[in-house]
Amino acid sequence: MTEAVQNVALPQIKVENLNLWYGEKQALNNISMHIPKNSVTALIGPSGCGKSTFIRCFNRMNDLIKNCRVEGKISIEGKDIYGTGVDVVDLRKRVGMVFQKPNPFPMSIYDNIAYGPRIHGITKKDLDGVVEGALRSAAIWDETSDRLKSPALSLSGGQQQRLCIARTLAVKPEIILFDEPCSALDPISTSRIEELIINLKKDYTIVIVTHNMQQAARISDYTGFFLMGELIEFGQTRQIFQNPMEQSTEDYITGRFG
Amino acid sequence: MVRERYLRQLDLLKESVLSLGEMSELIFHDSMEAVIDLNVELAKKTLALEPEADKLEEGIEVSIFDLLALQQPMASDLRLVVSALKMAADLRRVVGLSINIAKIPGKIEGGHVKPLIDTKRMADITADMIANSIKAFETRDPELARATAARDEEVDQIFYAVWVELIEMMAKDTSIISKATHLLFLIRYLERIADHCCNICESVVYLTTAERIKLN
Repeated sequence: MTEAVQNVALPQIKVENLNLWYGEKQALNNISMHIPKNSVTALIGPSGCGKSTFIRCFNRMNDLIKNCRVEGKISIEGKDIYGTGVDVVDLRKRVGMVFQKPNPFPMSIYDNIAYGPRIHGITKKDLDGVVEGALRSAAIWDETSDRLKSPALSLSGGQQQRLCIARTLAVKPEIILFDEPCSALDPISTSRIEELIINLKKDYTIVIVTHNMQQAARISDYTGFFLMGELIEFGQTRQIFQNPMEQSTEDYITGRFG
Repeated sequence: MVRERYLRQLDLLKESVLSLGEMSELIFHDSMEAVIDLNVELAKKTLALEPEADKLEEGIEVSIFDLLALQQPMASDLRLVVSALKMAADLRRVVGLSINIAKIPGKIEGGHVKPLIDTKRMADITADMIANSIKAFETRDPELARATAARDEEVDQIFYAVWVELIEMMAKDTSIISKATHLLFLIRYLERIADHCCNICESVVYLTTAERIKLN
């Protein structure tokens, strides 16, 4: 790992010697990485390299997988998220996630956004404001403000994905994980989401897994390259894409793999 | 191996830059020979080569725009493409300045105002700089690039010495002003060509190390 990134001023997520097994198979191998606050970090690498598995450690989604075993340390704001007494529900509120395929709940646009805040006990009189705020932050308010009671599934794919981002924002997370958020979207919806991600980093720390290398180059500040469960290289995005230190990173991003 | 067509395009780009390099070496060599011997025939032949160099440069530009727009090169490929674009422009200027040199023999009648000893030495160093900057690109050798650019200082020193000498000669004998001015232009062109070689060397250092440095 490059010095510059190892010593970032404000690491929000600190990963130290992380190992992960699915049963006998080791999927992540001794990964250490410091993810800076209010930045976009992109994780790239071929399918099966462990990048999605890796980000699923940040909100302990892997706990839900049978036979999955994690060793090492991940701390968020200095607190070990695998330590004793960690409230996993609270952790998942702090670390939001947006998936590859938009997955709105089969309910109205309004209720999709209100779902989380209601569970977390927000009062009814504040709810309208929270819904509007989240939809505005996700740049979809103008398209939905006159149809909040319509079913969320009536929206286009790109709108559904922004709705899912709004739903994530509604519970006020600190970190948002994106797992290939644009791979099911057309280029226009993709650029909307990319713009949105860049704007969101003012208030959130963002980690995005993407197969689209140009997307990683366009929107991220830092890039990590994964290969067969190992973090091969992690550095500033402009360095990774102009002058990677490792030959395998070079081979991957120039398309010489295979 | 994947992306075979793309890799072939990159190889072709490199070959085209080398061809333009060879062409600029040739045009420079013949221009200098023509001006030293005041060989108007050779100068004419040399001037006729310019359109070919133009075509080569244009071809390089087109292939670079295609590569950028259609293939989105990254990492060392990106550095190759960017360096090639800059090198093609520098090599085209080397050709342009050499063509200016080739125009001098037609303007001077009855021999030079002085033997071109230092100017010849300046031209030899410049020829080495052209050849070695291209070789540094071909072999991706940043050390050769740095060493080549370092010779610019010798060129500059000779330039100032000959400059002063020609000015003094003109002050003493105004009848030579016209002929001597052509020589002033000649050494100025040589000095500029050496500067373009330094630019090429900078591109080679960027290509090979990703460092952006000034070499002159």
